[in-house]
Amino acid sequence: MSAIGMIAGGLLNVALVLLAAPLAQGILRKITARIQSRQGPPLLQPYFDLLKLLGKEDIESGEVPGMQRFAACLSLATILAVACLVPMGFFAPMSGAGDIILLIYLLTFCGICTLLAGLAAGSTYSLVGISREMMGMIALEPLFAIALVVGALHTGSLRLDTVLQGSAYNAEGFPWSGILMLGVMLLSFQAFVQRVPFDIAEAETELMEGPLMEYSGPKLALFKYAQMAKLIVYSALFVTLFVPWGSELRFPVGWLFFWLKLSGLVLLVTVVAATHARYRIDQALRFFAGLMGVAFVALILASYGH
Amino acid sequence: MWKNLCQKMFGRSLWVYHANSGGCNGCDIEVLNALTPYYDVERFGIKLVGSPRHADVMLCQGPAMRSTAQALKRAYEAMPAPKLVFAIGSCACGGGVWFDSYSVLGPVERIVPVNYYIPGCPPRPEAIIYGVAVALGLVNKKTVPVQFKELELPIPRYHRSELRGEGELVVYEKAEKI
Amino acid sequence: MSLLSKLAETLICLKTERATLPYPAEAKPVPEKFRGRPIFDASKCIGCAGCANNCPAREILVYDVCQEIRIIKYLGLRCTYCGRCADVCPEKAITMSHEFENGTDKIGDIQQRLELFMSTCQRCGRCFKEPSVLEQLKMKGYRFDDLQNERWIFRSQARLEGDAVVDDLKIEMD
Repeated sequence: MSAIGMIAGGLLNVALVLLAAPLAQGILRKITARIQSRQGPPLLQPYFDLLKLLGKEDIESGEVPGMQRFAACLSLATILAVACLVPMGFFAPMSGAGDIILLIYLLTFCGICTLLAGLAAGSTYSLVGISREMMGMIALEPLFAIALVVGALHTGSLRLDTVLQGSAYNAEGFPWSGILMLGVMLLSFQAFVQRVPFDIAEAETELMEGPLMEYSGPKLALFKYAQMAKLIVYSALFVTLFVPWGSELRFPVGWLFFWLKLSGLVLLVTVVAATHARYRIDQALRFFAGLMGVAFVALILASYGH
Repeated sequence: MWKNLCQKMFGRSLWVYHANSGGCNGCDIEVLNALTPYYDVERFGIKLVGSPRHADVMLCQGPAMRSTAQALKRAYEAMPAPKLVFAIGSCACGGGVWFDSYSVLGPVERIVPVNYYIPGCPPRPEAIIYGVAVALGLVNKKTVPVQFKELELPIPRYHRSELRGEGELVVYEKAEKI
Repeated sequence: MSLLSKLAETLICLKTERATLPYPAEAKPVPEKFRGRPIFDASKCIGCAGCANNCPAREILVYDVCQEIRIIKYLGLRCTYCGRCADVCPEKAITMSHEFENGTDKIGDIQQRLELFMSTCQRCGRCFKEPSVLEQLKMKGYRFDDLQNERWIFRSQARLEGDAVVDDLKIEMD
């Protein structure tokens, strides 16, 4: 494809993520409210929240104000960069430009931005928050990496577009590894999108909001936007890798199917988030360690062709 | 244009920080009641946040105490503009029954400037929601100062127009002795 | 953590009706003996200041302009809506209304001020002196003109760093 086409496709993806992310968050809050038998905020509430935050005064505080600014901009920037690479119903033209190592790197980088934010604040609460986030990330990011590597082992190449088009199931034998990885990813999906029961580090009333404690106004809007966009981007990745049936149809139907599957996943995330309590960090780590064992079994099976 | 839009959205999504500076927690419980499913204030977009830097509105409860005065002032200064302060309960509005105690400095407005008062001991959750609605301009306030003056003094020899003031003392010009 | 039990829990929660009271549109009626804002009825008040004597927050102030005119002022700043003034009033001039929607942006909006004519003794024209020392003590408790010399009110000596905190509560007269 021509360069202009690639750039336009990437920008279209970015625009889709930016528009859909607060709407997904609004649906999530409304459904959580209905499960709790109350009325809940209007569906467009997160848009109002973001606009209000953008209109507030910008206070620079904490130990290192420069890093505060840097971390806020970087978190949204990395998520939008991932959005350029991920197919959103139609195949993303830019994914040929990278390989899975780039994707893993960008996704981990987004988590690191939270760590930078907590370090920039420098108060006790933020440091405790980021230490928990670090422990969580060490146990969590390999799971997604193994899912991508399983796909790479099946197709034999590290390029992102072949992996994403191939999904996790095109092994030569029966795709046991794909099914195992589906189970692992479903169980740990809540942690990737930072929702209960695994939102240990951020937005936690036990730690006075942890790493984001010193953020106010526009920078907080960037972080909240990044958090909302994570839900859409991770769901899109999950749907492409593990639930690829139906997206190969022609333009309107395939696109609608994709967004239908994505909203089904958002619904699942909502229901799980509304009915569970938050895990402590040691319970969460034990959970992820168990999942990592299963993921390694899947990796071994994949390297043998299953 | 952007600025106008952002300022108009201020009323639609208020994030609230709850600061109790020494009260009995009665008003705290009423504020928490307002967040439960029965009186649900989240339908107005109001959310409870844990850090004053994220908040737009500080709900102050309890009178200003000697020990927590510094902390309350710092929490107020940590909030980004535009900000509002609501004094909830009789203790925050005027000191409550503790106004002359040894450790109470007085009402919260000795320390932070208060925008809206919601008296009560404790105020009902509906009263708190009503106060917030008055602040957002959705309803009119229902209180007005009341004054009653007896213009006609009932016994004929006393006439109001004959009151003369001499410094601290006010006397009648013509005092008639019986 | 079985997923089926959580799904069952979700379905149970969703079956419950929405429990929110749509408050500003529709209000729940208050119970009968609810104590809201006290309303002073000036036509019944005889100016005995029993309410001021009994108020635990010293919210009702009494000021005698001259021997015959008494001003009773209810400030409303720190009223706790306890109802002792209504209980003790001999003429039932104070009623605890059902008004609880008292949110306002100026605290002076809640005040009520009554100027009343107090008759003096018909024989000698003067107010009589209180008979015993205990009665005199009771009278001092709430009289506005004595508040300056009040020994019963402790003033806190605390200061905030940087600015002097304590000046007395300004009570607006007229």
